[in-house]
Parts: sequence; structure tokens; C-alpha cells
Amino acid sequence: MAASGRRTGATGGDAFAAGLMLAPAALLLGVFFVWPFLRGLWISATRWDGFSTPVFVGFANYARLFGDSLFQGALLNNLIFVALILIFKNGLGMGLALLLDRALFFRGPIRAAVFIPVTLSFAATGLLWSWIYNPVFGLLNAALDLVGLAGLKHSWLGDADIALYAIVAVDIWKWLGFHAVIYLAGLQTIPGELYEAARIDGASAFHRFRHITLPLMMPVVLINVILGLSGAFVRNFDIVQVLTQGGPNHATEVVMTLMVKTAFQDGNMGYASAMGFTLFLIVGLCCVALLALMRRSRVDL
Amino acid sequence: MTMAAPAPAVSAGKATSVPMRWRRRAIFGPGIGELVLVYGLLALVLIETLYPLIWVLFGSFKSKEEVIANVWGPPAHLLWSNYAEAWKISGMGARIFNSASITAGALLLLVLAATPAAYALSRIRFRGRNVILAFIVAAMLVPPQVMAIPLFMTARDLGLVNSRVGIAIIHAASTLPLSIFIMRSFFLTLPMELEDAARMDGANRVQTLWHVMLPLIRPGIALVTIFAFIEIWNDFFLAFLLLREPSVQTIPLGLVAFFQQYGSMWNLYFAALTLTTLPVIAVFLLMQRHFIAGLTAGAVKS
Repeated sequence: MAASGRRTGATGGDAFAAGLMLAPAALLLGVFFVWPFLRGLWISATRWDGFSTPVFVGFANYARLFGDSLFQGALLNNLIFVALILIFKNGLGMGLALLLDRALFFRGPIRAAVFIPVTLSFAATGLLWSWIYNPVFGLLNAALDLVGLAGLKHSWLGDADIALYAIVAVDIWKWLGFHAVIYLAGLQTIPGELYEAARIDGASAFHRFRHITLPLMMPVVLINVILGLSGAFVRNFDIVQVLTQGGPNHATEVVMTLMVKTAFQDGNMGYASAMGFTLFLIVGLCCVALLALMRRSRVDL
Repeated sequence: MTMAAPAPAVSAGKATSVPMRWRRRAIFGPGIGELVLVYGLLALVLIETLYPLIWVLFGSFKSKEEVIANVWGPPAHLLWSNYAEAWKISGMGARIFNSASITAGALLLLVLAATPAAYALSRIRFRGRNVILAFIVAAMLVPPQVMAIPLFMTARDLGLVNSRVGIAIIHAASTLPLSIFIMRSFFLTLPMELEDAARMDGANRVQTLWHVMLPLIRPGIALVTIFAFIEIWNDFFLAFLLLREPSVQTIPLGLVAFFQQYGSMWNLYFAALTLTTLPVIAVFLLMQRHFIAGLTAGAVKS
């Protein structure tokens, strides 16, 4: 916005040119963003199967969410998903970045290699892992056999107690390189003199991390959390759909998969839309809270 | 895909990598023990990341029996016929065509819509500009998934379900806010004088954008194209929602369908997976410097 101040006074021609240039984008966003958003709010206030005339029900769909154990289970799974992913993607991502930062040779190639899974589609990733998790022929059980831990063998995606965590692990596997690369770039902006001074003062490696690296990296941590957040809340449909479709017995159901089922299997568009907007509200509040936190710690995006 | 909003100016990692190397060495010393530990752990990470992919490559050349008998190792013989057979029964040719045409169409539309919009939002002062900017930022944070149902209804009303053109348009719309944001940050780095000179010479806004700014904005267009390419090429959700007929389905849907239909033919499935993911990995490896520089420049300010 800062650059605007240099030009004084917009002429009528300029306003026309701006309108012309914004028109294609405005048309696209109007039809496929603003209109569906508003329409979705309306749909969520109706009972509608998608074909007949919608019946206005006010907030009934939202009220119904509070008593729906299936939705609450999905929301709980979603929250577990988010918490685990934020902890592990950031913890492991930071750890991997620290390792890469210390690596004197082959840093570039290793960085590229760990980034490869980020470029794969969720479909490819999910199917690859459904083979790895296969209880009979899968790589994971074979590996456990190999190291003499056959007792830990599981039907990873078939066991309701484990399946959710198995899916979370796949998501972490896919995105680890993404977060590590951002952390690495952050680490490389920390001036080396700080570490040198701390070393002369006799600070241990742990103290140097705790008192130099971590405070200076907080802005990058926040960026990673925000990047992970919307993904973990909403973009988990693909991976869950490909690996378990929400099963076994809803053990891995997240809000997005439940929403799609409610809409297209049960034909309940209004209730499904209410689920979507409730999730949107939760994500939005989290993002706003984090952005406020960032502003307080004087970080700008 | 989630991503930062990259600002173009600095490619921080690249520019500082040499002194960094020296610096770290000076601080921590060349301790052999530490180096062994670091590379030992990195080796574990590399195995964990790459072995599953290599395993797929190995598996794609094995016979159906060998996949089960020889789980870990490389294939005894290279069974190239797996690829031919996978190609034939998976209908991957049509899927690749669908993915390619949808992605190309969406990217073209995206660049055509995002470039002038980003120019107007960075260079022209007009009333309501800040409101539009705030809307773009908010739109970046709203994932299209939460609007899945009304989006489907809108597409249905417009006759865009089961349509390659339709999903391409919707892809362009859903990647548009972030793209405008990225491109705008590129426009903001260009010196104002260039444009003033062109305007002095009597060029109007559109001519200035086309002849003066466009050549300079190429890196921005490239970055937006790379990010959107990966997002659209890999998309599962919108395709799942909008492409119900097999004849218009894309690669990710095709892989899932193939898996559900021929689940026991691991070797063929691995061949199909290799066939469709290897090109993407190759493109990434060729462009990874630009890609990672663009990604990190936005997220981390040096």
C-alpha cells in the first residue's frame, strides 16, 4: 500500500483503466467465491436435498450440530489432527532444519530430496501409504518383522484406535520438508556473532538454542503454525478420503469428510453447509488470534 | 497446498550460503563427532523420505509374485511390460490429457486475470482499493473446501459439472487471491520511474502494463505458475466434487479408481504411480532453486 502515495490524484481515465483491469478477476471471484459463500450461508439456514424447494429453518441446522455425536466426534478428530500436526510438523521441521543448517556438504541436494513429497499429490501419497500400511504385505509390518518387533504389527488403517494417528503420520511425512525449508531459511538469517558471543560466555548448545535460536525464530514459528493451521483443519479431506474414507466406523472421520457424506450421500445440503461454516468460523477465529499474537510480537507478514 | 506469500526481492538462502558455511564452521568447529551425528540423522531422514518412493520404483518392475516374495530389494529383472499393461488398463492416457488440458487452461486464465488485477492494485490509485486488498487477503485465508456445497450447486446451475472447462475456471478462481497477492508484491518492487517514462511518452495504462511492466514481471508470473501448477495438477478435492464421469477425470482420481478396481495388482499399480509422479518430481528437481527461493523469500525476511 505504501507505494501508492507517490502518485497524486487519480484521473477518471485511471479509474476506468483500474476497473477494466480488475474486471476479469472480479468476475471470477464474484461468481466462484463471493456468490457461493453467500449462497452457502443461505443454504445452511434451510432444509434442502439439493433439488426440491428449500425450506427455511433459521439456525436449526447449527443448533442440531450441538447434539450430533457424529459431528462432535469428527470435530474432535479434527482437533486431534490439528494439534498433532502442528506439534510434529513444527518440532520435526525445526529439528530437520537445525540438522541441515549444520550440514557442511550436500545441504542443497538433501534439502531438495526432503522436499520431494511436498510435490506429490495427496492421491499418490495416500495410495503409496495404503500399501505401506497394508497389514499383510505392507512395508511397515515387514520392517517390524525385520527388526524383531513383530509384536507391534498392526492393521494400521483397520484398527479404530490407531487409524487416525496413522493418517496424521502420512500428512507429517508429506509436509515435513516444506516446514523444514522455511525453518532453515529462518535459521540462516540469525547472525553468527550472537552464537559466538554466547559461546565465549560459556553457554551450552542447549542454552544457545533456548535463548538465541528460539526467541529469534518465533516469527518463523508463527508463520509455520498459520501455514499448518488452515491445512490441518480443512485440507485433510483428500488424505482421509484416500486412506480410510473416514472409517473404520467413523474413527478417522473429520469434518470435511462428514460434510461431503452428509451432502452427497444423505442429500442434506443445509446441514452439511452448516458444518462447513462452523469449521470456517473455528479456523477463522484461530487465524485471527494468531495474527493478533503476531502483531503483538511485532512481526509482519 | 498451503503456502507463504513470497516476496520477490531477495533469494536469501542462495545469496548468503557461502559465508554461512564458513560462519558455522567457525562457530561450531569441524567436530568429527558432531558431523557424524548430523549426517547419521540426515541419512535416517533421507531413508524415511526417499525409500518409499524408491520402493514404488522397484515394485513397478517386479512381477506380481516378486512384489510379495521380494519386498525390500530391487527387482530381479526389469519387467517393462508392467508399464505397457498399466497404461492400457488404467486409461492413463486419457487422464493425463485431462489433467494437462485442465491445468494448462486454468493457468492461462489465472495469469490473464491475476496480472492486470495485481497491476491495478499496486500501481493505480482509485477509491475502494484498500477494501479490495483486504478482501483479497481474507479470501486467501478462506479455503474453497468450506464452500464445497454451494460451489457445487453454482457449478451445477452453470452446467460446469463434468466439464473440463468448468473445473479449469474454478481452479483459476480458487488460486486467484494468492496469485494476485504474490504478483502485487512483484509489481511493488519495480521502480516507478520506468512507468512514468512510458506514460510521458504517451502510453496509456494498458500499453504500459503490456509493453513495459510485463517483461519485468516474468519472475512473478513464473512463481505463480509453479505454485498453481502443483496445486491444480495434484488437486483431488475439486475433481472429486465436480468430475463424476470417468471420461473427464484427472490423474489423481484415475489413480484412486485404478487402485480400487485392480487393488491386488500391485506391480501395475506401482507402474501407474511412477508414470504419473516421476514427471512432476523431475520438473520440481529442475526448478527447485527458484521454487525454494520463492517460497522462503516470502516467509522469512532477512
